Amino acid sequence: MAPNLHEFLGRLKSLFRKQRLDREMAEELEFHQTLLREKLLRQGVPQSQVDRATRQTFGNPNRWQERLRELWQFRTAENLLRDVSFSLRLLKKSPGFTAIAVLTLALGVGANTAVFSLINGLLLRPLPVPHAEQLAVLSFEEGGPQPEYEFCTPFFRSLETRHDVFSDIFAYNTDTLQVRGQSGNENIHGMLVSGQFFTALQTPPLLGRYLTPEDDQPGGSVTGLAVVLSESFWERWFNRALDVVGRKLIIANVPFTVVGVMPKRFIGADPTQRPQIFAPLSADPIIDAPRNHIDDGIHAWWLTVLARRQPGASLEQANAALQTISIPILHESSSDPQFISEKEKGHFHFAAESGSRGFTFIRTLFRKPLTIMFWMCGGILLLACLNLASLLMARSAARERELATRLAMGATRRRLVQQLIVESMLIAVIGTAVGIAAAPTVSHFLAAMLSSGESAIQLDASLDFRVLAFAALIAVISTLLIGLVPALQSTRRDLNDHIKEGQHASHLQERRSILPRILLACEVALALVLVVGAGLLATSVVKLYESGTGFDPKGLVNIAFSMDKQGLQGDQLMQLYQQLGDNLSHQPGVRNASFEFIVPLSHRGWNGRYAAPGQSAHMIWLNSVAPRYFETMRIPLYQGRDFTWGDTKASGLKIILNEAAAKQFFPGRNAVGQQVIYSRTKTSFEVVAIVGDAKYRDIRTPAPPAGYVPIMQDEQPKPSLNAVVRIDGPQTPLVAAARSITARLAPSIPAPTMTTMDDVVDNSMSAERMMALLTVFFAACALLVTAIGLYGTLAYSTARRTSEIGIRMALGAQRARVVALVFRENAVVAFGGCGAGLIAAILASRALASFLYETSPRDPWILFGSVAALTAIASAASLLPALRAARIEPISAIRCE
Amino acid sequence: MLREEQTDSGDLIQGTLEMLVLKALTRGPLHGYAVAEWIHQTSQQLLKVEEGALYPALHRLELRGLLKAEWGASENNRRAKFYQLTAEGKKKLNAESQRWARLSAAVAFVMQAS
Repeated sequence: MAPNLHEFLGRLKSLFRKQRLDREMAEELEFHQTLLREKLLRQGVPQSQVDRATRQTFGNPNRWQERLRELWQFRTAENLLRDVSFSLRLLKKSPGFTAIAVLTLALGVGANTAVFSLINGLLLRPLPVPHAEQLAVLSFEEGGPQPEYEFCTPFFRSLETRHDVFSDIFAYNTDTLQVRGQSGNENIHGMLVSGQFFTALQTPPLLGRYLTPEDDQPGGSVTGLAVVLSESFWERWFNRALDVVGRKLIIANVPFTVVGVMPKRFIGADPTQRPQIFAPLSADPIIDAPRNHIDDGIHAWWLTVLARRQPGASLEQANAALQTISIPILHESSSDPQFISEKEKGHFHFAAESGSRGFTFIRTLFRKPLTIMFWMCGGILLLACLNLASLLMARSAARERELATRLAMGATRRRLVQQLIVESMLIAVIGTAVGIAAAPTVSHFLAAMLSSGESAIQLDASLDFRVLAFAALIAVISTLLIGLVPALQSTRRDLNDHIKEGQHASHLQERRSILPRILLACEVALALVLVVGAGLLATSVVKLYESGTGFDPKGLVNIAFSMDKQGLQGDQLMQLYQQLGDNLSHQPGVRNASFEFIVPLSHRGWNGRYAAPGQSAHMIWLNSVAPRYFETMRIPLYQGRDFTWGDTKASGLKIILNEAAAKQFFPGRNAVGQQVIYSRTKTSFEVVAIVGDAKYRDIRTPAPPAGYVPIMQDEQPKPSLNAVVRIDGPQTPLVAAARSITARLAPSIPAPTMTTMDDVVDNSMSAERMMALLTVFFAACALLVTAIGLYGTLAYSTARRTSEIGIRMALGAQRARVVALVFRENAVVAFGGCGAGLIAAILASRALASFLYETSPRDPWILFGSVAALTAIASAASLLPALRAARIEPISAIRCE
Repeated sequence: MLREEQTDSGDLIQGTLEMLVLKALTRGPLHGYAVAEWIHQTSQQLLKVEEGALYPALHRLELRGLLKAEWGASENNRRAKFYQLTAEGKKKLNAESQRWARLSAAVAFVMQAS
């Protein structure tokens, strides 16, 4: 038999006869010693010295036996098992330490995993389609700072036919479809897709067929208009009926035939969307009526375009091919010479980039905040590791005697280090497990915060192999970080020294304790950086809130009505709005109600160039509003009169300017009664009032010049307006009331949706709020963790100095001096850490500058406040062990030696 | 380990000890103590096997199947663990002693060179 196999079998056998093997080894060694003793006696060594002489020649039998035992074991595996159970027992013996260690690490790991799974969902995860790596996102350059990702129909229709490097080119636009259900129309989240969309994404349908280029024609294919459903919509509307294919669905009052159902894993090409219905792009004039993005040609930039590269075609080849067809396509798409020359001046050309992860606009929005958050989480994790390392070091310093004894009993240094690492590994594994368990909740919470502004956005932040691999990596790194240094350190010394010295502090130990202090100082520095970051972001958000919006968002509710698919229009529709408004304002708790076209701060906008007669034109932002709008919004009306329902198209065009616009058009003059002229149509508007400035699109920029026109004079035939309602008390009763009023007055429109203005304001700064909330949370954790670290290490080191302190006091040291002595140990650490942290914070805060609103990244008050907070926490954490040290009774301290 | 008595010329390599142990057992089963004694005597008291090296070597050889162990009664009727060569062990000893002969002859040539 081969020696290796024999060895393996021998070890396997020994596993089951461990006790017998041990007994036999002991017996064998005992026998040897007996013979040795007899031999010594024969040689005439006196009886009294035989034992000593035997021991001298034979050495430490326990150690030999340990070595023999190791020979018979599967060493690593068995030792590991033994270490794990031993470490578990040790950890159980100090539950306080274990709980702190696990929680600290869980916090670091949980935060990191949560943020990473968000980053994974948004930035890293490939689309769940076959060969996602062949996909490319198309864009075009026209001289602007960034490539443009929104295409017009002519560009796309020309691109669609070119198959030099692309096997498929497709476009889509997310849309809201009005689908007729049992109780009138319902708004359903859907997507308009071009002919090659499904062939490019290569996912077979669950039922029926998917949409093809034949469906993507005006009027649909020969069999009429077709749609494909998502699995969840099929479930919700058709209860998974297998005969769904061929059934009709009324969308925008027009029948569409269901031709297929897509499986749940299919989400299209935008990872943040979950469209319920896929409809052909060519059906846009029906679905988006009365708008028509296709006829709008080069004036409607509404499509996202992706392509699948032919197998083997590289991105470079794709870009080269796009480059050559760019100018021909530009000329095909429009006959407007001004449009063409403008684009050519900007070196217009199409470009392709990797599209394996699909396309979503929020990626550009949240890449930077997420990256910063990721670094912050990394900081927290590092902090947790530093903290654990210094705690473990302090703890193993207190365990020096135990370790020395084990060394003396025959354990090798390797085994001790291994056992200590197993101990920290256990902490790491438990901590990581707790962290990972908490991560999904945290990341869903974060995802909800990120996407709260756009209710249709779905962020899949679930755990996948990438996240788990990341978490495992964290666990391994943190084990090494927290375990290795303390383990190596505490086993380095000569074991004789340990046993001889006992608890006396020596110079050697003094020197050795520098490393934990450096770790602690790093921790303090890191905590300071986090606290400063939190201070800056929190101050910025407070300043954003304080900056005000120009209106009073408290108690304001917006109710959105979709009027574009119902029968009324013009003055008749205005009467309906008036009735809706009257009904709403008579609800209990409602103070006022009015209407607006654009909800401020919702990121939607409408602008135009206007001029005072004979003056140059200025760009102003516009909104169309109903009477009593300013009263409802609490925007002050400085001069003139509000709109009335009598301000119809027949009564002459009216406009109300805000102060900024009035100053721009009529500097130093009274604007009321003057005319402003809309540049495009050369129509004239009479200024009837001046109102206060209010923020329009972005809360971060000051209120822009703006004008308000009455809804009764709106150019659109069927405007979908938002009711603004000011209420006292809760909004819940209003929801039901709004529904029943709508069902009574406008039964064909979908149920109105409600948002509070407070939410709109919060969402308009969601990135800032999220970052501020998180950093404040992280900073609080960092402070807590640091305090625990400072307290823990000092408590351990003071415990080891009990006898020294006892002697000092016996020799007449004052209690105050003792407090100072102990306190000083941490004061040095905190001081050094704060200094280093301050420098690091000043350097790091620059990365935050672009997120700050009216806050300097070096705001001295914030820096000072952070240092003060940290100092206070550090002092509190250090004072406790110091005071305890001062209560040491000299006699008992010395006696306990 | 294996040490030349009263000189400090250093340790002999581990393989050598194993070879000597195998050699000691060619004349029949022996217990550990006897193996050490035999090497000590046969080497004219020049080699002394330390217990801390002997027993790991014996167990290692047993584990690899070169020796096999049995419990029996010693000369003064005490229970002792006797080791004896297996066929594998004999093969190994042959190979090792040939290797040793070559090695020591080579070393001798080098040392005798003038």
